[in-house]
Amino acid sequence: MVTDRPAWRRQLPGWTRDGVSVLVLVVILAPFLWMVLMAFRPAHEALDLTLGFRPTLEAFRSLWADGFDRPLLNSLAVTLISTALSMLLGVPAAYALSRWRFRARSPVAFWILCTRMAPPIAFTIPFFLAFRWLGLLDTWWALVVVYLTFNLAIVIWMMQGFFDALPQALEEAAWLDGCSVWSAFWHVILPLTRPGLVATAVLCFIFSWSDFFFALILTRTQALTAPVAIVNLLQYDGWEWSKIAAAGTLVMLPVVVFTMLVRQYLVHGLTAGGIKD
Amino acid sequence: MSSISLRHLRKHYHDQPVIHDLSLEIADGEFVALVGPSGCGKSTLLRMVAGLEDIHGGEIRLGDRLVNDVAPKARDLAMVFQNYALYPHKTVAGNLGFALKMQRLPRTEIDRRVREVAAVLGLEDLLERRPAQLSGGQRQRVAMGRAIVRQPVAFLFDEPLSNLDAKLRVHMRTEIKTLHQRLGTTSLYVTHDQIEAMTLADRIVVLRDGRIEQVGRPLDLYENPANAFVAQFIGSPSMNLIAARVEGQDGRPRLLTDDGLALPVPLPATVERGRQLLVGIRPEHLEPTAAVAGGDALEAQVLVVEPTGAETQVVAEFGKRRLTCLARSRFNQPPGSALGLRLPPEHTYLFDAGSGQRLRAGH
Repeated sequence: MVTDRPAWRRQLPGWTRDGVSVLVLVVILAPFLWMVLMAFRPAHEALDLTLGFRPTLEAFRSLWADGFDRPLLNSLAVTLISTALSMLLGVPAAYALSRWRFRARSPVAFWILCTRMAPPIAFTIPFFLAFRWLGLLDTWWALVVVYLTFNLAIVIWMMQGFFDALPQALEEAAWLDGCSVWSAFWHVILPLTRPGLVATAVLCFIFSWSDFFFALILTRTQALTAPVAIVNLLQYDGWEWSKIAAAGTLVMLPVVVFTMLVRQYLVHGLTAGGIKD
Repeated sequence: MSSISLRHLRKHYHDQPVIHDLSLEIADGEFVALVGPSGCGKSTLLRMVAGLEDIHGGEIRLGDRLVNDVAPKARDLAMVFQNYALYPHKTVAGNLGFALKMQRLPRTEIDRRVREVAAVLGLEDLLERRPAQLSGGQRQRVAMGRAIVRQPVAFLFDEPLSNLDAKLRVHMRTEIKTLHQRLGTTSLYVTHDQIEAMTLADRIVVLRDGRIEQVGRPLDLYENPANAFVAQFIGSPSMNLIAARVEGQDGRPRLLTDDGLALPVPLPATVERGRQLLVGIRPEHLEPTAAVAGGDALEAQVLVVEPTGAETQVVAEFGKRRLTCLARSRFNQPPGSALGLRLPPEHTYLFDAGSGQRLRAGH
């Protein structure tokens, strides 16, 4: 058989690689699969491992009856607002750090990254006391501010790398074509860093959406988020496994859908061809 | 269109000066090439005109307008970059029309002008493609088109052909020249390739270390270089320079190289004894003859013979130094053989070894 593969690659038949890939996938995805199956199982056989069961939405209905929509809405609002604000503030900051040479450039970049160096628990008490003093405990805004401070560092750090990778000649060409600094940023730089913007926004979304620790400390009832609400299903008088699994499935769903939708943007290579290397 | 006038321009990076009190007048419609070795400040100068670099002294005027503090977008200049700098996310039509879109021209007017320029540059079939789908030469043409479509007051070219292969470079050189003849727009063209400068420019500015060494028409620079640097920089292959000392106690002064070989070059009568000079002769003027001891030819030895078809480049050893000679006729001598090289007096140049300045009659 004629093949252009190198010898070391030909030694491994295609089906072996596929088999190993599937095996690894099954091991990684098994807990998720188990959770999703559990969510659709009748409550009395929630912990069974059999596949022969009649799927039911009973757990979801009862979650709704218990008012789980409220924590879901809180989670969604806090996540979207904090992600949007992080991008709105972080992307221009990253651009400035990438392009303008000023004396304090390196220290500023370093201190921004420093905010991610301490463990989150180190900030808990200061945040708690500050928000209590401001009267913001158990509000969306407390969580938005906390997630913003953490996400900003990620946004600036990641986007600075994407901006650094873009040749400055593109902006200069835009300036000579009649753009101001901002319109060149808008018309040329932002479209070219779209994969980076999307990847960064996805990370911010996932971080805010799945945070448990700060939501537990800073909320009580009004601004309770979905991950904390799930823990509240672990009651003193019994653990409602189907509802926990259903809630877990609901929390996981936006992340999966969001990632699938933007998958095409996560692929690099948009900048190829504009600049001669 | 407009003239460009640079007056007493200065620029430094940190404390290191890169442009020293430079003045240059470019007439309306003129094509001026800035040449010089890497790091001589030619690209910096171009970027200062474009508004991409700060100016630390002097003034830049486009026509009558002082533009020192005017943003690049308001200077109405178009620039062709070395790496093209096409917008990768836009189609060829999008790239060509971007500046017009920024001027908020009506859609129909943009379309009309984009098509017009595409027709001039042969890009009609590529309008819907993206830069990544184009060859190097096509990208280069789009970059040119993006500059032309604006109808700017002047074009700035920053080594626009240096990324093309040799054949395409020659082709694009002709296209640029044709376009300039047709549009007549003032152009400032940076290159390190002196052939490009010679073939394209009305005038050439030779720069070294941020200073102008000489400004002139291409053939003036070739025939009358002001100093040894310009003499070596203009012309390919470079001019041969032989270091020598003025000797002779009595009668006529004569030139001796540092290894004691005599150079049969006429000297001005007034030249002082002991002075160190550089004798320059272009490879095309160095005439290979049969080696005759005692004649007025330099006795050299063939080192390398490089036939290029129309002519043959011969590198010969004369004492400790190598001389390049361009033979128009067939050259059949093998490496290692003896070779006579005649210096026609009307084609030799004398430069002061210290300052590099050319010696004129009476100096």
